[in-house]
Amino acid sequence: MTNRTVITLVGKDHTGIIAAVCNYFAQNNINILDISQTTVEEYINMMMIVDLDGYRKSFPELVADLEKVGKQVGCIIKAQHEDIFNMMHRI
Amino acid sequence: MLDLNEVFETNKMIASENLDVRTVTMGISLLDCCDPNLDRLCQKIYDKIVSSAGALVATADEIALEYGIPITNKRVSVTPIALVGAAACHTPADFVRIACTLEKAAQKIGVNFIGGYSALVQKGMTAADRLLIDSIPQALAQTEHICSSVSLASTKTGIDMDAVRLMGDIVKQTAAATRKQDSLGCAKLVVFCNPTDDNPFMAGAFHGVTEADRVINVGVSGPGVVRTALSKVRGANFEVLCETIKKTAFKVTRVGQLVAKEASRRLNVPFGIVDLSLAPTPAVGDSIADIIHEMGMEYCGAPGTTAALAILNDQVKKGGIMASSYVGGLSGAFIPVSEDSSMAEAARIGALTLEKLEAMTCVCSVGLDMIAIPGDTSSETIAGIMADEMAIGMVNQKTTAVRLIPVIGKKAGETCSFGGLLGDATIMPVNRYSCADFVNRGGRIPAPIHSFKN
Repeated sequence: MTNRTVITLVGKDHTGIIAAVCNYFAQNNINILDISQTTVEEYINMMMIVDLDGYRKSFPELVADLEKVGKQVGCIIKAQHEDIFNMMHRI
Repeated sequence: MLDLNEVFETNKMIASENLDVRTVTMGISLLDCCDPNLDRLCQKIYDKIVSSAGALVATADEIALEYGIPITNKRVSVTPIALVGAAACHTPADFVRIACTLEKAAQKIGVNFIGGYSALVQKGMTAADRLLIDSIPQALAQTEHICSSVSLASTKTGIDMDAVRLMGDIVKQTAAATRKQDSLGCAKLVVFCNPTDDNPFMAGAFHGVTEADRVINVGVSGPGVVRTALSKVRGANFEVLCETIKKTAFKVTRVGQLVAKEASRRLNVPFGIVDLSLAPTPAVGDSIADIIHEMGMEYCGAPGTTAALAILNDQVKKGGIMASSYVGGLSGAFIPVSEDSSMAEAARIGALTLEKLEAMTCVCSVGLDMIAIPGDTSSETIAGIMADEMAIGMVNQKTTAVRLIPVIGKKAGETCSFGGLLGDATIMPVNRYSCADFVNRGGRIPAPIHSFKN
């Protein structure tokens, strides 16, 4: 199993959302492998694939920390192992 | 590389269409616990369950968090207790002690249910089978997390009508013993024709004697996901309808396969099967009846419902079978009336009747499930309904089951509440004409012929 994790973010768009998330990643040694986003009307949908190899905390801590960051920027941020998406959408 | 739309499609299924893994069930063989001394037997049973499944709940919760997919139930199924307790139990009360031991183990490890307080009597009853069956009303009244099942028939052996008649009485006694909770005990008691050894769903889960010592079985769900997918192809022809269900079932089942493999790896217990089931809950939108409605019926139960359910059941299997390396259990669509809020509503307004439900069980995976009937329904009539359902399973070589709740003190049209995932129901009327002279004949109905099929 790889350590690749999918981060999704949904919320009302404003400046500084991605900066806040990326700051957290930089501070915690999480490397971003891929990033894509769309904005529909004033709402942002963003997805990042990150590598947790250098991350020193536990997965539950990551989930809790991202929830806190999400609250600060008014978005819902989730972390999920990428295998759930690969299993569902790739044969 | 993953696509943004695919990721958000998955998360929308989870967040707003009730996609979940319905159950991770660990099957545990208790055959090595057998002992003629009841105290020692109970201690061995408790120790084996706690040592085998002590980490089940924590592991499932960990997987749920890492993949972001809810795992609704964590459960254990055990070897049919009539076999395990045969040497040690000499009275029904002895069996009740085993039930209380299982309850203690269930509370210790934090699972929702332990299934397997069971007897397999499709051809005949041993003394121990009879004692276990007699103990069921008290066992279910004195415990909270124990489920009981009795196999009454099979395609190979026919129907044990003595046991069918007896179970009519046992259902009534269980209802009476739990009358203060709307006869809730009967929601934890099911009778089967052709039961499966690896079913992860309650109330009918037990760990068959042909299984390994321990095994992980997973039941998937996802009626809400199928309904949403079908809402996008309204008016399209049957080819499109079937393809849509199949593709959705594939995606839903893949999640079950992932969770099953991961739970198996982390718990170091072999992966058994994924049960490809569409299991509803009382939550709005998590409903089989809503899928039937989306397919074009004004209400579930309208003419055409049986055909719609046949399509749904078959396409779920066709889509799911490629998504999992091992498929088993009941695999198909469940139609538990009280657990499906739209089905309960269809029953309330009279669109869905007991007879229509019986017809529907010919083409889907379980049977007459979670149906509240008047408390004054006679035990002969309950046995007659069971016999009908056993005959459907026997002749059609499929699993069928009956889980009826005669709600003591209530009449047709009144409502009852079982709480949680068991839901609420309006009590359905039952045909008032007698079958007593038929079910009281005694003996067995022979196995059907396996050729000349028409």
